[in-house]
Amino acid sequence: MAETTFGNATQVLEPFRGIKKVTLEEYFTSGHRTCQGCESALVMKLMVKAAGPRTIVLGSTGCMYVANTTYYTTPWVVPWMHTQLGSSGSAALGTAAGLKALMRKGKMKAEPINVIAFCGDGGGADMGLGAISATLTHKEYNSLILLYDNESYANTDIQLSGMTPYGAHTTFSPPGKVHRLIHKRWKKNVAGLMAAGHPECRYVATVCASYAVEMMNKVRRALTIGGPTFIHSLDPCPKGWDYDPMLSHELGELAIETGIFPLYEVEDGVVKYYGKTKAIVEGRPRKPVRDYLLKQGRFAHFTEEDLAYFQEKVDQQWEQWEIPGVVPFRKLDAAQAALNVK
Amino acid sequence: MSALICEVVYRGIFQKNLAARIVRGIVLSARKSERWGIAFGRYGDSPQRNGIPAKDFAIVADTKEELEQNMARYEPKHVDVTICVDDTLSKGVESWAWYGLQPINRLTVPNGTVLMTSLQPFDALLKDIHKKDAPYKLSLIRAKASFSGLWVYKEDHTEVRILGALAKIAPSFLTLDAVAEAIKEMEWGSELKVASARKAFDRMETREVKITEGNPEVPYAFQMPKWWEMREGVTIPAIPIGKPKEGGQGYVPERNPYFKKFSTRTMRPVIDFDTCVKCNLCWIACPDSVFDVMPDGTFDANMEACCGCGVCEAVCPVEDCITMVNESAFDDNASQWEAWRKDKAGYKTWLGAKIGDKKTTVRSHGFRFRGQYDEEIKHDLDSGGVEITAGIPGENADRKTV
Repeated sequence: MAETTFGNATQVLEPFRGIKKVTLEEYFTSGHRTCQGCESALVMKLMVKAAGPRTIVLGSTGCMYVANTTYYTTPWVVPWMHTQLGSSGSAALGTAAGLKALMRKGKMKAEPINVIAFCGDGGGADMGLGAISATLTHKEYNSLILLYDNESYANTDIQLSGMTPYGAHTTFSPPGKVHRLIHKRWKKNVAGLMAAGHPECRYVATVCASYAVEMMNKVRRALTIGGPTFIHSLDPCPKGWDYDPMLSHELGELAIETGIFPLYEVEDGVVKYYGKTKAIVEGRPRKPVRDYLLKQGRFAHFTEEDLAYFQEKVDQQWEQWEIPGVVPFRKLDAAQAALNVK
Repeated sequence: MSALICEVVYRGIFQKNLAARIVRGIVLSARKSERWGIAFGRYGDSPQRNGIPAKDFAIVADTKEELEQNMARYEPKHVDVTICVDDTLSKGVESWAWYGLQPINRLTVPNGTVLMTSLQPFDALLKDIHKKDAPYKLSLIRAKASFSGLWVYKEDHTEVRILGALAKIAPSFLTLDAVAEAIKEMEWGSELKVASARKAFDRMETREVKITEGNPEVPYAFQMPKWWEMREGVTIPAIPIGKPKEGGQGYVPERNPYFKKFSTRTMRPVIDFDTCVKCNLCWIACPDSVFDVMPDGTFDANMEACCGCGVCEAVCPVEDCITMVNESAFDDNASQWEAWRKDKAGYKTWLGAKIGDKKTTVRSHGFRFRGQYDEEIKHDLDSGGVEITAGIPGENADRKTV
């Protein structure tokens, strides 16, 4: 790239070919105050390990801001800045635009710098949805938005978010004697929403840190392809999901194997499943959701009826959706179409 | 005119509900003896994290005026009774960055009491508890640390046993009958629990601790930055990139110099470097970047950073290569790899001793499957009627994963 006409060049980050090839350097290190077994802290570590040293990270309010940067200290090796709860999208766009302007004016060496903004499910899927959506329409700026989804407002002691699964126990939805389930809304499909609704966004992926190398390679792909990109990570949370922290890794795997959280990437409009999800799409049986749900204290109040409902909703997303696990549209079947004509 | 000030030192989230029940129980028991009280958490501990030490307080006074006088303080600076519901906290407490290590008996007044749940003998605990410049009493309730999570509570009677013991320590504020009456009124109370409280009253063991006794180590501390030293925009320097271990081989990351995780763990991994297959799984799966890469391709768990979650043991494919062991079994934070390099045979013996007695050393860290707590408690109730005295040793010892 010429120095005066800085375009949209990105760093070309080749995928890691196996765990032995992963870079040794840590760009997010120890000394943060996250819970024992915090999967989101692992996501931070892997995210910047994949991105490398020429990276700026922006973090909206949430566990990964409050717990990590405790009282004027930090575990970050790369530059990191806090941004407000709903503004990970704006911060990503503004930083990317600012870098571009400084480089264009010659105030900064022209080079591709990764801009990653992370947000929790509260900050991203609830409050920050509009800002993220806007950022994903600006194709001239390279930025990655990573949603780390622990399915509640975990930092403030587990309030219900739009990403909390059906029936889960949270501070806002305690199971009672009269009403066993307080939270009866199904979780949002954020990755599908981003992929389907943002034609200028060339890359959307879902990841889980239990599959570390694949997770890092999705981050590398997003940063390499450029423009605004989006990654949704499901992070088991020992505090809010109420389980022995030792099981963080295993619960991540179970979320995939039960088909509750599908792993896929959408690159230039093409859906590609990967990992265990690919096997499920190709016909491998899914594990029953109860294997996943009953290992978590937040679902300990579930009855057989609740488990059956949960299973049915997950079955639907695989058996009835036009693009299984990704987009919840259905084509009219022939009989239904005939009825409509009448 | 007098007041009783208690603190409950506990593991964040794991014992949050337990601590809340204890401090509420103290206040309600005192109310039964016509006294006034208040229970509250330490503001700075919120938001709590799994395993990170936290504190709750209970203040009981003869009159309302005296209670108000005590409430005018941000939080108590001196306490009559320090209640500690996990004996690994006897090594000290560090709850946030800059705190440094705070001895468990730091706030206890001269001739006050440290009340602890533990299966360890007094002498073993006094190897960990720091020396104090005044004599105090160490009281023990024989029980294993009671850990559960935010939503599902483990009804193992720990809260009422603490209350029963407290009635013995401070009878002028809480009589045993008042405690029994309060327990019965609680939504979690029962006759069985009243019986447990009375048993704890009888069975609590107490020992005087002299100023010469205790861990002589000087707790580490950090120099806090002054406000005028802060930089524009309140920016702070990033952590430097790490270095190879030695001879250009391996990798050791730099770490946050102002927050150590020594007191966050209740277990630590011990590693068999001889059977390690160098698969890198522990290294990649550790949320705390604990594993330093050694020149030979094995991994040394750095105790400064480890919070003891046990994910490394869960992902390790080799039997007994990484084993989580009760933190009480260790006296220092020295490198295991260096010890192994120096004396391989000696290390093997040491390792065998640490992991050999898994049944008595393993600790439960909470919910693994529905019905688990009932199973564990039933076992105890079956063997001894209402008596719940020794916790549940060996629980889940055979369950590496569910």
